[in-house]
Amino acid sequence: MAQTTAIACSKITKRFGTVVANDAIDLQVRYGEILALLGENGSGKTTLMNMLSGIYHPDEGTIAVDGRTVAISSPADAQRLGIGMIHQHFKLVEPFSAMDNIVLGTKERKLNNRALKEKVLGLCKEYGLSINPEQRVQDMSVSEKQTVEILKVLYRGARILILDEPTAVLTPQETDKLFQILRGMREKGCAIIIITHKLNEVMAISDRVTILRKGKSVGTVETSQVDPAKLTELMVGHAVSLSIHRPEPRDVSTILKVVNLTVQRPDGGLGLDDVNFEIRRGEILGVAGIAGSGQKELCETIAGLMPAQKGAILYNKENILGKSPKEIIALGVSMSFVPEDRLGMGLVAGMGMTDNMLLKSYRRGKGPFVDRAPAKELAKELVDKLSIVTPSVETPVRLMSGGNVQKVLLGREIESDPNLLITAYPVRGLDINSSYLIYDLLNQQKEKGVAVVFIGEDLDVLLELCDRIMVLCHGKITGIVDAKATTKEQIGLMMTGEENA
Amino acid sequence: MNESTYKSSREPLFRVVKRAERSGRQMLIFRLLAVLLSLVAGGLFILAIGANPLQVYRQILDGAFRSKLAFQGTVKLCIPLCISALGVTLAFKMKFWNIGGEGQIIMGGIFATYFALFHSDWNHWLLMLVCLLAGIVGGGLWGLLAAFCKVKWNTNETLLTLMLNYVALYLVTYLQNDPWRDPKANGFPKIASFDSNAILDRVLGVQAGWIVMLILVVAVWIYLKKSKQGYEIAVVGESQDTARYAGIRVKRVILRTMFLSGAIAGVCGMLQAVGTDATLSTGVAGGIGFTAIIVAWLCQLHPGMILVVSFLFSVLEKGSSVVQSQMGLSSDCAAVLQGIILFFILASEFFVRYSFVLRKKEKTPAPAAKKEAV
Amino acid sequence: MMKKFLSALLAAAMMALCLAGCGGDTTGSGSGSGSASGGVAKEDIKVGVIHIGDPAAGSGYSYAHDQGIVGMQKNLGLSDDQIVRKNNVDDTKTADIENAITECIEEGCNIIFATSWGYMDVCERLSAEYPNVFFSHGTGVVSNGTNMNHYFGRIYQARYLSGIAAGLKTESNMIGYVAAMGQENGEVTSGIDAFAMGVESVNPDAKVYVKVTNSWYDPEGETQAAQALLDMGCDVIAQHCDTPNPQLAAERAGAFGVGYNSDMVNDAPNATLTSVMWDWSVYYTKAVQNVMDGTWVIGEKVEDYYGDMVDGLVTLGTLNTDLCAEGTEEAINEAKEKILSGEWDVFDGKTELEDNQGQMHTVEGADYGSVNWYYKNVELR
Repeated sequence: MAQTTAIACSKITKRFGTVVANDAIDLQVRYGEILALLGENGSGKTTLMNMLSGIYHPDEGTIAVDGRTVAISSPADAQRLGIGMIHQHFKLVEPFSAMDNIVLGTKERKLNNRALKEKVLGLCKEYGLSINPEQRVQDMSVSEKQTVEILKVLYRGARILILDEPTAVLTPQETDKLFQILRGMREKGCAIIIITHKLNEVMAISDRVTILRKGKSVGTVETSQVDPAKLTELMVGHAVSLSIHRPEPRDVSTILKVVNLTVQRPDGGLGLDDVNFEIRRGEILGVAGIAGSGQKELCETIAGLMPAQKGAILYNKENILGKSPKEIIALGVSMSFVPEDRLGMGLVAGMGMTDNMLLKSYRRGKGPFVDRAPAKELAKELVDKLSIVTPSVETPVRLMSGGNVQKVLLGREIESDPNLLITAYPVRGLDINSSYLIYDLLNQQKEKGVAVVFIGEDLDVLLELCDRIMVLCHGKITGIVDAKATTKEQIGLMMTGEENA
Repeated sequence: MNESTYKSSREPLFRVVKRAERSGRQMLIFRLLAVLLSLVAGGLFILAIGANPLQVYRQILDGAFRSKLAFQGTVKLCIPLCISALGVTLAFKMKFWNIGGEGQIIMGGIFATYFALFHSDWNHWLLMLVCLLAGIVGGGLWGLLAAFCKVKWNTNETLLTLMLNYVALYLVTYLQNDPWRDPKANGFPKIASFDSNAILDRVLGVQAGWIVMLILVVAVWIYLKKSKQGYEIAVVGESQDTARYAGIRVKRVILRTMFLSGAIAGVCGMLQAVGTDATLSTGVAGGIGFTAIIVAWLCQLHPGMILVVSFLFSVLEKGSSVVQSQMGLSSDCAAVLQGIILFFILASEFFVRYSFVLRKKEKTPAPAAKKEAV
Repeated sequence: MMKKFLSALLAAAMMALCLAGCGGDTTGSGSGSGSASGGVAKEDIKVGVIHIGDPAAGSGYSYAHDQGIVGMQKNLGLSDDQIVRKNNVDDTKTADIENAITECIEEGCNIIFATSWGYMDVCERLSAEYPNVFFSHGTGVVSNGTNMNHYFGRIYQARYLSGIAAGLKTESNMIGYVAAMGQENGEVTSGIDAFAMGVESVNPDAKVYVKVTNSWYDPEGETQAAQALLDMGCDVIAQHCDTPNPQLAAERAGAFGVGYNSDMVNDAPNATLTSVMWDWSVYYTKAVQNVMDGTWVIGEKVEDYYGDMVDGLVTLGTLNTDLCAEGTEEAINEAKEKILSGEWDVFDGKTELEDNQGQMHTVEGADYGSVNWYYKNVELR
């Protein structure tokens, strides 16, 4: 195999203020190979790729494309060099058709529709992609939108593709399909860099892996020479046990019974469509589903933040829907909710820990003034208990790392001593150590007899941590299964509504 | 990232880069530097129009402090500016873009004027109290109106408060043209001067409003920092989702806060009408409601800073008008000077957060790679 | 909860106010040396002038007043630092007016000439506060006999004469008049009536169409009003407002005009027939002279002033004979003679004048303020 080097980065350094995001990183990718860029959140993967696609400019170091040193100062430069990036968040114009999106911003936008369509279909055929070029993007599934993004860069003649966490939003089946496409591209001689933090995907798709840790390059290895445990060690810096502990549920009893619950989204669509299930004390109920399948509505309706159109949420045959938090507590349900958007909903980003502790308790005490002393005590207690890293309890939480932010939020909610704990994507964006700490905290609650709801996206985690898994698809429940007796593929099918359990 | 870089395939001459958070001390140095620079730039401007900058600057300070009377004049200018900046601060803390300080001041003035004009026979202190309350209600309701439309129909508060300024202004024009017209004004449309019983007393030679101002500085500080309602405002301002999550009744907080925000501006209007002007004219707010926005932002919504900065603005304002008459500079020159100083201070806010990175010298452009890639 | 907090706040505010009431009241004293005997020495005179516009504009109201100040300074031989000017003082912003006047006092002024009508209330209030400062208010009606007077003049005399020029010139028999204030304003309305009477005296068929801007100083509005009158078919535009813009609009339209305040033949040489003018130096010289020689004693005795063409306060500017109709100069001179000799006046207090509603009135010149009716050939637009 006479592979030529597509991109060679040497000693790339990028600083943001005092933070060194990339520190003298070396990276090479050849034509006809798939390189995985592995690292935890905040290790500098996306920063590095943004420099290759002309969004940032390195402070030091050089980038060579096809053996020549280049300066990539804009996405247009990157495009001319044949580099195309597919971002985690799609950059598509929703009301436009697929092919309008593909051609948008290129010189050939004067092309007539038929010629354009043929050109797009030709590309599809060449790389084994399938979309309807005339369909509007807003009517497409996540996977189809991703395909449009890929076509967009291919249309611009990209031979070096960078994909930022492309599988985060896909079902297992869609992931497989994407990997097929990527392999096809490799055969055609493309160079592909795939950013991920999922080890099994690294093993499945890549030829080589470059591992980043805290902005530094730890090394590059042949995928065939390593196993997931070794990769984790490289990524985290020390050996980590990858199995999640799952204590046996004890004294399981129903706390809430959700009956025929139907919830409308603000845009008028149905967020939840006639949903029936039980939440039980002493176990973790996992909720799986493609993003936007009704998870948000589920959490917020139970938490009393969103009104329901129909149905009931029963506690001992008493409907808690429409009751105030005070009344619900009086009935004997004390609910804690860890929302998906930690800094935008669960916490006040600009406030320190102390003021964030007050969020739900500031009304306590008589008189018009807030008593901050107990909150400060609680904040200090949490810092010790959960080893939260922060300069002081008054430092705005937005300046803290993702893991510490989640510890603050979850810590506060657990401290309120709930018997029902709802968590939405509690480990999203966290490093491995923090994630395991969160799993431990949730298991502790479960063992204390708390009913835990865990909205998750990583099916491996859901399968290992939860006792039962409920799968949502378009606001409907497509199955509630025993986590120990289910496979990832089954859940994947239920997520797209193709199989009912 | 434009045509020229496209052609040369080189780095742009400079790039804007976000900085790390700066320490309070650095920020202070930065702002002082900005003030210094603005004085230099202003000095160049003064030189350009043929005057001596040092003399002008001395004249400004002199004009603001040279005598008891001058100092009193400076304080008098400070009162409305500081109070209305405190007013908008409440709304801004909630990220409710209240551009309507001007209108709320005017409405406070109108309400207070009603009593000062038609009930000047009441007991003096009762009348002053009623005027103050009327000012609070007038400004408050005007603020509430915008908030009500916001929570009810999600109207754009920036536009609405801005428009309401003009409604209030033309209401004064209407009142002075018709129902409240001074019959003794020789046909000139104006509202009569208040009876001396309906004019706010002076303390140490300045209308008593300065005491109200000091009280409000402390009160707003305590309200925002220590009270439960202040905490709610901060949460709503940061994120309405978080507020909803915490069980805060967001709409109620918006209504209440806008009432208070408008009420403080209304107090300003009352003090201007009853304390300074002794009448109601279309100039009762005179643009103070807009300057207040700048002051509030410059001070990052800190009441103590607002007092300081309002005072500095007043020094500049008072001093400039003396420069105009003493040195024969046109009053427009003074306005330009003020603009320059403001510009630099506001620009320093940009540099507190961002910095420019110049293109490195030892660049090696690679035109060869460009050809290859096409 | 909120109510409690608010009321606490209010109580605090109220308490502070009460305390304030007990505090001492200091009244700054002007630095004037108003000694009773022999008046104020020349070197102790300091004059403050409050302008609504900027004299640097070179034309219009503030310029005319400032020319008067310059004339007075020259007549009496005052030095430059004995004059303090405050320009662009908006007469609707009470706080600004007060600020400007107190600054003059700070700088040691003992005579304040406040040139705009809107300064009246502030002057009245401050005259009580600063008894050693002489407040002289132009165009107003308030005076106290001790340290505040008002000054104005029979400008209607010049307006009558300018009406003759306009009446002879018009071919469409439609004459426009841009007025700062509406019918209720005696100063403006008496001027319109005098002008209309001048027109009628030579051209009984012509009508005067009035458009009101509702502002003494509104460059944009004055242009628009003039343009509207021109569009109606008026071919001569007279004005009672501060800028020469109506003259310029007339010039652009190839029409003619009658200026006001300053000699607007300089602004619109191809349009302005003549200008109705003030020579304020006549009054300013007299007022300062009176203070200097003890005729007026600040704090004891000052008198109102009402000048006319005889003492030179009111004049007619350059007569643009190239543009004027034949015989204009003669007709004007004839009427002027009668006025100067005292043989006749426009508002003599005897002649019955008919308004455009058919009512009859008599007016004595000094009572111009009470004129709130339009003469029979006037129509409001």
